[in-house]
Amino acid sequence: MNRTVPDRLRRLPALFDWRVALLVMGLVVIAVPYVWITLTAFKHRVDAAAVPPVLVSPVTIENFRTIFDGPYLGSLVNTAIITFTTTIATLAIGVPAGYAFARGKFPGKMLLAGWLLFSRMMPPVIFIVPLFLYFQRLGLINTFTGLTLAYMTGLLPFTVWMMAAYFADVPEELEEAARVDGATRMQSFTKVALPLALPGVSTVGLLIAIASLGEYFIPFILAGIDTTPASVGVVNYVGSNTINWGAMAAASLTLIVPVFVLTLVAQKGMIRGLTAGAIKG
Amino acid sequence: MSLPQLGRHLALARRGGQTVLIWSDRHFLKFAAWPSLVIMIAITAIPFALTLALAFTNYDLVRYDDWRFIDFENFRIIGRTRQTTTIILNTVYLVVAAATLEAAFGLALAMLMAAKVRSIGLIRSLYLLPIMTSPIVVAMTWRAMFNNNAGWINYFLGVAHLPQPLWLGNPLLAMPAVIISDMWTGVPFMAILLLAGLLGVPEHIKEAAAIDGAGPLQIFRYIILPWIRPVMFVAVLLKSLDLFRKFEGIAVLTSGGPGFASTTLNLHVYNTGLRYHQLGLAAAWGVVMMGVIGTSALVLYFALGRTR
Repeated sequence: MNRTVPDRLRRLPALFDWRVALLVMGLVVIAVPYVWITLTAFKHRVDAAAVPPVLVSPVTIENFRTIFDGPYLGSLVNTAIITFTTTIATLAIGVPAGYAFARGKFPGKMLLAGWLLFSRMMPPVIFIVPLFLYFQRLGLINTFTGLTLAYMTGLLPFTVWMMAAYFADVPEELEEAARVDGATRMQSFTKVALPLALPGVSTVGLLIAIASLGEYFIPFILAGIDTTPASVGVVNYVGSNTINWGAMAAASLTLIVPVFVLTLVAQKGMIRGLTAGAIKG
Repeated sequence: MSLPQLGRHLALARRGGQTVLIWSDRHFLKFAAWPSLVIMIAITAIPFALTLALAFTNYDLVRYDDWRFIDFENFRIIGRTRQTTTIILNTVYLVVAAATLEAAFGLALAMLMAAKVRSIGLIRSLYLLPIMTSPIVVAMTWRAMFNNNAGWINYFLGVAHLPQPLWLGNPLLAMPAVIISDMWTGVPFMAILLLAGLLGVPEHIKEAAAIDGAGPLQIFRYIILPWIRPVMFVAVLLKSLDLFRKFEGIAVLTSGGPGFASTTLNLHVYNTGLRYHQLGLAAAWGVVMMGVIGTSALVLYFALGRTR
């Protein structure tokens, strides 16, 4: 009987599955803050703070003009710089360590393992006070180098941990075969293991980029006027006395849109990336 | 230099090069791992040791050239502080309430997401978005949503003829507001992690149980729950660690107020050290915080993580 129904129609009832209905309701709840941000970003300043709130009002790009005329544009550039340097530096240092971790023994392995776990447990506020003190001594406050190093406190252990999980998935036999054929350790890493773990590297890289894009606590303390990223700059529109919700929403959009695009482009890998560390670790 | 001599030199050099190659080959893993180790020592181990040391000093940023070791005085101060119990209880309240709610709702959401229906991939990835959104943006947006007069939450409560409380200004509602805003990202986070566990439950075990006459509730209780317990442990642990370090969602939403009603250990360490410049005292609070985190992790391990 079913065979007579065209494929197109047969798939239709799936849309009305009760589980899908519930999931879509959940998505509506998830969407509310995003809808608020988007609507508010295009509102006139008066409408954005209206009591009672007006859900829909005349559209303006005044808020975007405000943020791009102000210091916010510079902070967006800073965010781009910090995100780039942090992602590259963390991957360059963390990926080989993850490999070493997944393969064989080396002196300091247990120490590194223990410390990775420990620093995953300790909150950044424990590190930030002394880091602030000795960065001040070394002149690293308000520098991109200092910020990149500080971002790595959380991101480097994460990267080593995740990459160890990905490299453990690469069959060791392939590397052994390469080594029998005369490849050095270095070559079996760069020519065999790394290409096979490349999806993992790009997922971890994306997660690092997204985390550095949104990082607030570290730059809030260690950044200065020349290095303030957008995540800190955006708060300037929410002062204690005057709040410019429209400008804040417009600025928030500039932080949300890149993350939306990255997440939806890389969703498959990301679900794996988020869970790999949790399930295997 | 005569020709044979040059030849000998070249041979030596070649052998030297080879030795270097063999040597670097043998130690490759070390070279791969040590940069990470060195950086970790510089940016986490040394700061951590400094925190431990600072906890026993009266170091203050305002008069930084006049400090000395003061033994356990900082901890005595913490013991004497009136708000200490409140702050620790607030922290436990936030972590336990948020993690429990998120685990429960997250499990329900994960079970829905495990459905094999069309476009489930798209739905799953849309649920990723709150997890990826910058916490500071989330915090500011929820502050707007919870606003007394202009906020959407009270507006919709008014439309439904429900009471419109002063969310962020009420000592009893400040922490629930923080928890609600945390659930917006926390429930999807839990769901994505638990989904991976749920998808790992072998179909044939469920089928065998169903053939033996087990109902859906029994399958859930005796097959699914025990199967996903290790994943649940890791998910709750990761989420709890995130809750202990929650900063933006409290600092921007309530500033820890009203009074100390939503001040957690994390916020208090920050306030003491970086707002009031008492770095020594802040470090001591940090040590207390690590104690609380360590204890909680142990409790969680004995409750969920132990393998029978």
